Amino acid sequence: MAALDLNAIRAVIEGRLATELALAPAIPVVFHNMAYTPTPSSTWVQCQVSFGNNNYVTMGTGAGASNSVIGVAVINIFSPKGVGPGASLIVAKRIRDLYVRINTSGVRFDPPIGPEVVATPSPEGYFQTQVRLTFETFEDL
Amino acid sequence: MAFFRGEQGSVKFDDAGVTTAVIASTRSWSMTIEKDVLETTALGATYKANIGGLIAGSGSVELMYTASSADETKAFITAANTATDQGVASFELFLDTTGTKKISFVGLITSADYGATVGELEIVTCNFVTTGTITTSTI
Repeated sequence: MAALDLNAIRAVIEGRLATELALAPAIPVVFHNMAYTPTPSSTWVQCQVSFGNNNYVTMGTGAGASNSVIGVAVINIFSPKGVGPGASLIVAKRIRDLYVRINTSGVRFDPPIGPEVVATPSPEGYFQTQVRLTFETFEDL
Repeated sequence: MAFFRGEQGSVKFDDAGVTTAVIASTRSWSMTIEKDVLETTALGATYKANIGGLIAGSGSVELMYTASSADETKAFITAANTATDQGVASFELFLDTTGTKKISFVGLITSADYGATVGELEIVTCNFVTTGTITTSTI
């Protein structure tokens, strides 16, 4: 096997979310480095995938050696302001159920963190909660 | 001055003692070579005297469980559970794989510790002892 394809991992995470949120009731989802102008008082989701620590797993410096690659998908859920958290938690449940403890295409997800309420929503004008998904995959050189 | 790091090491094994092959997913190994000490102090001497006696080695190899059966890894982790072990398995413990700096010997695996812990990689630790000559000439 070759070194890790970071975009393949990103596609696993983002594709799964995009497919789920395209189902009824469909919710717009926007990913890292994409322009998006939300409709006021709407519900929408932002997904940001980042890679973090890389660690030695096995001995070896070339073929046959393995590394662990850890990352996080930060998923922000924006819902209308001033109407309670219900709508946000419904979306959060869909997202949690989508990733909790699954191992798909070589990407293993831990139990999700959140949804946590974000005290200062960004952008303003929404009720914002955040679900964080830590994941791990292995690079087999 | 050359220094080495653990990832430069590796372990090779062959339960039949013919041609060693790499044990996949090895995380660490360690080995202790011990020499018996025979006291030769003369009567009336003030200070003790010793000479070296028989030499033997023992140690352990730690690897991740990968369900691999394509190489010697399966034979390695199941060797402790084989009957009538004649102690003919070949071991090569590399300090530097590319530089072929290694300790090689014939021996047998005496125990295997299996375990599974939630959220952690599954580890198998195999302990071994040597039988016969231990070669460190390439170190």
